[in-house]
Amino acid sequence: MRIDLRMQSRRLVFAVLVCLTGLWPDGAVAQQASGKPIRIGQTLSLTGPLGQTGLTHKIVSEIFVEQLNQKGGLLGRPVEYVLLDDQSKADVARTLYERLITSDRVDLILGPYGTGAILASMGVAQRYHKIFIQNTLGIAEQATYEWHFAASLGGAEPQNTLPVKLFEAYGSTAHPPKTIAIVTSKFPSAQYMAQGTREVAKRVGVEPVLYLEYDFGTRDYGAIAARVKDTNADLLWVGALGVEGNQLLEALEKLGYKPPRHFYLYPSSGPLAVLPAADGALSLTSFEDGLPYTANPVSAEFARLFAERAAKAGLPYAHADSQAGNEYAGWQILTAAVTATKSLDDKALAEWLDKNEVETVLGKRDFGGKWHNSRTDYQQLRQVQDGRWVAVWPPEKATPGARLIAP
Amino acid sequence: MPHLTLLEQALISGILAGGLYGLLALGLSLSWGLLRLVNLGHFAMALLAAYLTWYLGTAFAIAPWWAGVAIVVAFFVYGVALHWVFMRFRVTEMGSMLITFGIAVIVESTIQTIWTADFRRYETALAGASFVVGALYVPMLNLAAFVVAALLAVLTWAWLRFATIGKALRACAEDAPIATAFGINHRALSFLLSGICAAYAGIAGVFIALIATLAPSEIWTWIGVVFAVVIIGRLGNPIGALAGGILIGVCEAMTMAVADPAWAPLVSFSLLIALLLFRPRWI
Amino acid sequence: MTRQRVLEIAGLAVAAAALVAFPALDVPAFYVSFLYMVFFWIAMATSWTILSGFAGYWSFGHAAFFGAGLYTSATLATKFGVPFLLTLPLAAGVAALLGSGIGFVVFRVQRLRGELFALLTISVTFVIAAIISNTAIDGGAGVNLMNVHLPEVFGSPTGTIYLLGLAMAALSLWAAWRIFRSRLGLGLLAIHDDEDVAEVKGVPTFRYKLAAFALSAGIAGAAGGVHAIYVGYVTVGETFEITVTMYPVVMSILGGARHWLGPALGATIVTGALYGFASGPEASLGRAGIALGLIVVVLLLPGGVMPGLIRLRHALRRAPDRVAPAPGLAAVPKQCPAQGATPVVALDCRGICKTFGGVQALKDVDLAVLEGEILGLVGPNGSGKSTLINVVTGHHRLDRGTIALAGARIDALPAHGIARLGIARTYQIPRPFNRLSVLDNVALAARFGPLARGRADAYAEAAHWLGYTGIARRADALPGQLNLHERKFLELARALAARPRILLLDEVLSGLNHTEIDAALDLIRDIRAGGTTIVFVEHLMRAVVALSDRVAVLNDGAVIAIGTPHETMREAEVVKVYLGKAHAS
Repeated sequence: MRIDLRMQSRRLVFAVLVCLTGLWPDGAVAQQASGKPIRIGQTLSLTGPLGQTGLTHKIVSEIFVEQLNQKGGLLGRPVEYVLLDDQSKADVARTLYERLITSDRVDLILGPYGTGAILASMGVAQRYHKIFIQNTLGIAEQATYEWHFAASLGGAEPQNTLPVKLFEAYGSTAHPPKTIAIVTSKFPSAQYMAQGTREVAKRVGVEPVLYLEYDFGTRDYGAIAARVKDTNADLLWVGALGVEGNQLLEALEKLGYKPPRHFYLYPSSGPLAVLPAADGALSLTSFEDGLPYTANPVSAEFARLFAERAAKAGLPYAHADSQAGNEYAGWQILTAAVTATKSLDDKALAEWLDKNEVETVLGKRDFGGKWHNSRTDYQQLRQVQDGRWVAVWPPEKATPGARLIAP
Repeated sequence: MPHLTLLEQALISGILAGGLYGLLALGLSLSWGLLRLVNLGHFAMALLAAYLTWYLGTAFAIAPWWAGVAIVVAFFVYGVALHWVFMRFRVTEMGSMLITFGIAVIVESTIQTIWTADFRRYETALAGASFVVGALYVPMLNLAAFVVAALLAVLTWAWLRFATIGKALRACAEDAPIATAFGINHRALSFLLSGICAAYAGIAGVFIALIATLAPSEIWTWIGVVFAVVIIGRLGNPIGALAGGILIGVCEAMTMAVADPAWAPLVSFSLLIALLLFRPRWI
Repeated sequence: MTRQRVLEIAGLAVAAAALVAFPALDVPAFYVSFLYMVFFWIAMATSWTILSGFAGYWSFGHAAFFGAGLYTSATLATKFGVPFLLTLPLAAGVAALLGSGIGFVVFRVQRLRGELFALLTISVTFVIAAIISNTAIDGGAGVNLMNVHLPEVFGSPTGTIYLLGLAMAALSLWAAWRIFRSRLGLGLLAIHDDEDVAEVKGVPTFRYKLAAFALSAGIAGAAGGVHAIYVGYVTVGETFEITVTMYPVVMSILGGARHWLGPALGATIVTGALYGFASGPEASLGRAGIALGLIVVVLLLPGGVMPGLIRLRHALRRAPDRVAPAPGLAAVPKQCPAQGATPVVALDCRGICKTFGGVQALKDVDLAVLEGEILGLVGPNGSGKSTLINVVTGHHRLDRGTIALAGARIDALPAHGIARLGIARTYQIPRPFNRLSVLDNVALAARFGPLARGRADAYAEAAHWLGYTGIARRADALPGQLNLHERKFLELARALAARPRILLLDEVLSGLNHTEIDAALDLIRDIRAGGTTIVFVEHLMRAVVALSDRVAVLNDGAVIAIGTPHETMREAEVVKVYLGKAHAS
């Protein structure tokens, strides 16, 4: 009886809201059939300035859920994916996670894309005690929620480990760089990594001869390019998001300058790979469409499906990359915990993940680092060679036959 | 202290960036100044033109200038149609902002639905080409955009200044009823002007396609700065729009050349505020 | 009437209680947060309207004030450990200070109206964003408020934030409503239409604009403070984003930017629509649908949704209540008795000089206007008649000389101060406030005139003078709907409603036909009979001779003759100047 009353009052409130705003939330009408689906909710930046990456993540999530349901779902129940558009805005992401948890009443959530959206929605997860698996947070130290788990491989101190890895890689070549020019977007994660790189560079004896920060959304790179050219450092390190790296490179090309060595932090994989001026560019990776990543059948199937779907969606560069791999790994981690614990209880899942490792397309994942990051930085360096990304560092994880090319 | 070549190079890129600002500002300035309609959809239409240029070029191998011709014609028609709506419903300055904001959202959605949110780049042989003058490099496509912006600005200015029809337009902007009393057909003229403004958005779009990487949300990144440019140059003043663009472009580039690029907006807009407060008659 | 009022108040109280108690109901927290977002945008849009919708100073940079408040709260709460609720008044204060600081400088520069003001606000946004982004306030890394403590009402921070949002929205709506119905609101609407005229009619424009700016910025700042804790992690990029600036504009115009409730309506519609289309596949197309709806609404309801609703209500209730003239009005005492035996100087101008860019418009003008007289001011075009009126009313500052009203210097006063001492004028080409009704136009003069009437009194006064000048039936019309004749009388009614001691008439007769002129002459005599001193500028000699007690002749910025009409018009110099000029033209 009591439950009925509550339901009624809820319906009444709901009806009032609908009248007030014309709002009709999805799935507010509960499904009652047997074999009730497990609902997993997520927001992505489907529109707005991060729309490109949001699209990649969306394709991956859809592939994963489809595969999962083909294999009999989760705990014998079908899985329903509830995807909302956060418009690349933190406040919208935050509101929509609250909707997913309290109104759509999803069973589990996965983190969104973008530093702002991730941190804003993590606060919601914390408030409702939901396990929060995210896959793209650049500033590891900001994720101070005990049930936070990072699917990515950067470890808890990427701002130190990444530059160390980079200088190590160049150190192995015939002429290691002696000077570095750092140019970074003021996007929080990029700037954070740039500052870390500057410190590490000083420590390992590479002189930072230029350190520039530009606004996220800078429209013209001509003057910045002129300074990069003017400095002519041995290594150009660009804290680039999306196509900012392309824009800087194109501006440099117009000045008749090609950096001898160059690195890009979070570039959009496709556009950079196909840009002729980007030949030899380095970047981070933890997954690519090719060996050694696709050595196991799950990864190979994922890469194949992604290529197929991306081409169908009309994406210009139809290959899986780190963004795609990270998202896939997030799903693998969440579902592995559910399968192992036979539970949808957030606490049980978190406790299990805390103690166990999960096999993902990125390799074996542990959460031994602070705030459930990976124990150490497992990421690789990749390089544009002949219009394709190939893994080049560390050598044991390099694409077969590929090695770091440097002057 | 940065040496001279760097400063000169930054100056060049500032001027050229200003050319692109000016090109985008031109149509906006004319419709705001002479028709009293604030067209927030201008940027969206420019980006749509850029996507069309890219699409026609990559899918049908149509050269940008031919695409440009088609776009200019189509956009002119759109401009006339838009103005018909404005006239039919007696839309005010405020209302025009809202309607064109709606148009911008619709165009953004359309672009995203057809071409996805992913980046699109129109690869052309000239993309990285430059003229080399001594130690300085002048990027070819940016220069072309600048030259076109300058040509359009000067021609439009001369047209408004010397041609009978242009003078009539200015008269209408100043006092439509009196102009009508002198036998000037205000309606026909405003249709023409609205068509021209839309066509200018199309031309700007062709150059955006050649110079920049395209994404649907780019529509919103230009609004702040181009609005500033339009107002600095005085509404309805084509030469002013270009000059305003160059002023902002050069300020930004020079700041980037001597200080941290992130300070660029601070310097250029502080200068603008000072100008507004102490020399308002310049603007 | 009182019964209805009681019902209204009871209804409001119930609605308020329901809103306050909403989070305590067993509803999904999302609806609580969603309503918070509605409140947030109501506050932002209302804030924009107070400055831009009412006063017409278009802010394209409300993100600047929002951001100033947001970062004040975020910084104080995270870096200085100030309890969060305490940071909110500070956030509002910092933003209000920023707004009034800008206003204090900007409103002194006459030209910075319209689009130049918009440009200024755009620029301020860029500058503030760059400062926050490049200094320790943010530095680019963003500010994380996840560990900021917030007292929990209804058992969760969501409830607290909801109540803060509700309070913010309610306060801003209350402020907008109060302003809308007060002198401040009427003054701001008049500033929107014609700032110079508003000042001359007694509106302290500088102070009013400053108040509107400070209040508007303060509300945006408070909204920013609350929003900081709502989002939990703030960055410069998202705080100063273009939509933060655009949405309040769109919402206000959609709802109706000249009504206190309009922006709230627009904000509710837009926010509801935005969250209604958040689901995956149709998100982008859904937004296109909203945009299309927006366009249709704007085309069909040009003034916004709110004025549309008001029109609908009026249509349903047939004709609205008319303001009837108060019965006791005729008994309002006149300020001065009829002319006495010894002439008293009412307005004394001595050695007035005024130069415009090298052209000396007034050269050492001495002119004493006697209490209760009608002084005709004649002279060829460009002789300085209008300039004289403009300096007397304080529209132009004097270069040299003094002006005294009943012995007290007024030449250093601002125009609205002079108006309040009882000097009123009409304009040769009528300059009514075009978006205020005829009745409001006149009532404004009464509210800001020397008697500073209250709301009800001012409307009664206005109705009286509309009847007096014979245009009472056009009370609800907009000035644009009047013919020239009616507009002239509106000018006159607006000047008279101030109950001036001295009335300056600038060519009230031009453009009128013979019968209209005769009627007007009678009216002017009648006004003087009421005790008002009149100075009138006129070209029509018949009227000057018929009406004036004395005539002053101006030529080339100097008074060349003064005396009774017949004497003065016979003086040789006057004949030369006046007839010579007349023949020449």
